[in-house]
Amino acid sequence: MSEPKPSTADILAKIRAQKTGAGGNAASEPVAATPAPATPPVEAQAAVAPPAAPVAKPKATPAAKPGSTSDILAAIRAAKGGGASATAATPSPAAQAAVPVAAAAKPAVASGAPKPSVEEMLNAVRGKAASAEVAATAPVAPAKPTLPPIPVKPPAAKDKKAAVGVDRRSFVAACFAPVVVGFSAMAATSLIWLLDLARFMFPNVLVEPPTAFKIGPPSDYPLGGVSTKWLAARGVWIVHTDQYKGRNLIYALASVCTHLGCTPNWLEGEQKYKCPCHGSGFYVNGINFEGPAPRPLERVGLKLAADGQLEVDKSVKFQEEMGQWEDSNSYVDGSLV
Amino acid sequence: MNSLPLITSWLSLGSLEPHPNVTPSVIFGLGWLYLILFCMNVAWTWRSYHKGHHIDLPAFAGGGHIPTAAVWATYSTVLMLVSVVHFSCASSPESFWLIMPDFAKTAVDAIVADARYFFAATTVGFFLMLLLREWLARPNIGWASLNLSLLFLTISMTDWDFRQIVGKPDNVPIVAMLFIVGFFTWVFFYRANENDRRAAQGRPPVEAENNEKVLTWPDLVYTEMICMIAATALLMLWGIALQAPLEEPASAVKTPNPSKAPWYFLGLQEMLVYYDPWLAGVVFPSVILGGMMAIPYIDFNKLGNGYYTFNERKFAITTFMFGFLPLWVGMIILGTFLRGPNWNVFGIYEFWDVHKLEALNNVNLSEYFWYGLGQPLPMAPAGSDFWTQAPYILAREAPGFLAIGFYLAALPGLMAGTIFKKFFIRMGFVRYMVFSNLVLMMAALPLKMVLRWAVNLKYFIAIPEWFFNV
Repeated sequence: MSEPKPSTADILAKIRAQKTGAGGNAASEPVAATPAPATPPVEAQAAVAPPAAPVAKPKATPAAKPGSTSDILAAIRAAKGGGASATAATPSPAAQAAVPVAAAAKPAVASGAPKPSVEEMLNAVRGKAASAEVAATAPVAPAKPTLPPIPVKPPAAKDKKAAVGVDRRSFVAACFAPVVVGFSAMAATSLIWLLDLARFMFPNVLVEPPTAFKIGPPSDYPLGGVSTKWLAARGVWIVHTDQYKGRNLIYALASVCTHLGCTPNWLEGEQKYKCPCHGSGFYVNGINFEGPAPRPLERVGLKLAADGQLEVDKSVKFQEEMGQWEDSNSYVDGSLV
Repeated sequence: MNSLPLITSWLSLGSLEPHPNVTPSVIFGLGWLYLILFCMNVAWTWRSYHKGHHIDLPAFAGGGHIPTAAVWATYSTVLMLVSVVHFSCASSPESFWLIMPDFAKTAVDAIVADARYFFAATTVGFFLMLLLREWLARPNIGWASLNLSLLFLTISMTDWDFRQIVGKPDNVPIVAMLFIVGFFTWVFFYRANENDRRAAQGRPPVEAENNEKVLTWPDLVYTEMICMIAATALLMLWGIALQAPLEEPASAVKTPNPSKAPWYFLGLQEMLVYYDPWLAGVVFPSVILGGMMAIPYIDFNKLGNGYYTFNERKFAITTFMFGFLPLWVGMIILGTFLRGPNWNVFGIYEFWDVHKLEALNNVNLSEYFWYGLGQPLPMAPAGSDFWTQAPYILAREAPGFLAIGFYLAALPGLMAGTIFKKFFIRMGFVRYMVFSNLVLMMAALPLKMVLRWAVNLKYFIAIPEWFFNV
């Protein structure tokens, strides 16, 4: 294929250049269909095709210009530089070039325009230097005249489809096509599933301990101690310390590291909370001092209930960096002990 | 022979020492390990003998030649003797002398138990590897390195703490991975060196010269099938031999100590120690993934396509390998073998003491700046609303914003005029900015690590009020 030959685009461009406006469309259409057949397996078929061309269908568009075939031929000849050279006797370029001719020949025939015979066209395309083997295959070809109708099928199919589109009954039928039913069912199921999921987020009964719970009298929590009594069940430390701004306070710290939410360990000997995940450390009062934790542990609500017991309320949180530790709901006066 | 001393020694071992460094079963197992090492080296000796290489002795030693095979044969003999010693002395562990000496343990721990030294050692080791690649990639040197690392592993097994870390079923595949990483790094340098030598002589690379094609079926498919069967068999044996390290049922208020990510995420977990979760857990992983996808579009070097080479792609390979070896594999080693309870750093021969104290008082850049000026941190009056607070907070963190702004906005321009001048000219503005920002983001991790270890720097920008920390 190293030999330069006119590409389909070249041919089209030349034809278009020669044509003037409106009539050009119809004639160029069949030519546009040629790139697909131009593959090697079709080459042999193309060599066979010409004899069948005269059998072309009456359906073909009559708008084709009579001159179109000769236009193509002229363009090909021009591009081949006055016929194939002596060395260019290989059949493939010639046969390929014949394909547009064969396709374009049909409208020409249908319109009843003066038409060159197939042999003429082939010879014109191949030039005088066509090799003996190509010449040999050509006479054999007319023996099978039934091959070519293949290209005609698409327009027929298109017509049928167009007819379906306008029919009201077939519109209803299309609505019940398996693919439509299937996707509709899937969409409906997904929608129901999503609604169910949303409903799942609001359960009727929440099986978890109430957020407010009593933890006994303040005297259970002497000054300077961190109680881990409620850690396993409720996730809070009860701290009684005077290490925060020098005030004697009891408060409840949530056992959630402010870095990534692991549960730190209270290390009595070191007097600090130490997180096992990334090494964040907090002083006894909950203020962060080492590792990556960016802010102090959070307090949860604590108040003295009417019966003299301390009551923790985990539904509220108090963040030191937001100044919320000043809120009187976040601690109980430790001097009550 | 009276068996009473033996019995008493066993009893005393069991009752007095809860963490024995050596037990009869350990010594017996090590005997097998040395035997396997011996067999491996016999095979290597045989290979050496057929290759017929020689070692030139230095002038002061007489200057003659020694066959390489003789060296390996001697070494193999020693291994066999060591193996025999293990098998014959397994019954008296308290008097066993072929163990890791204490001074060596102390020396190794002094380096690895300090993250600064560990990181410095991996980085220096990485660049040494690049410098000595010609020498390291020789087959005999590669084999010697493998032997050294295996010997180190084997003799370290005589330490109780080391055994606990390395022998944990979680960690066994990581040990295997280290050897696999080492092997493939060696293969790369071996092939790259050969092609670099060829390039110096003006010859085409091996891949271009010997590009004999084979068929997909059966050559490739058979190879793949055999690999698949072998991998499946290995996984089955592994699943039978090593039990899954299952723990107690999970509890929201109880976190295992230490709590470790899967091994392939240990680099991320280590990153989380230095950067805020939104950066280390979201932005940086995305930048790593996006950056790797961007490499083909950033790269303008047409060389090294389809063959191994180092000299033709020095910058690209060094950058990638630095990100992979010291920053990713190195962090996996740090996370797996050195991080212990409370996420403290422990030596490989050190007992995992929950109460180990490490001073980690961290200080933000803003605190360094304002306290350094002798001023209190700018603070809004108590109880003020958001719009009153915002200017105070921004003023407080101004040094951090300036530092980050300089790093990501000004530094690319400065580098374009200096060290990356050629890159800038070849790449154009957009590609260069993508490239330089990716490089800077990659450098941000070691930079922050070093700053954390050196000056306890916590965050460049610390705005816990807005959940924004860098």
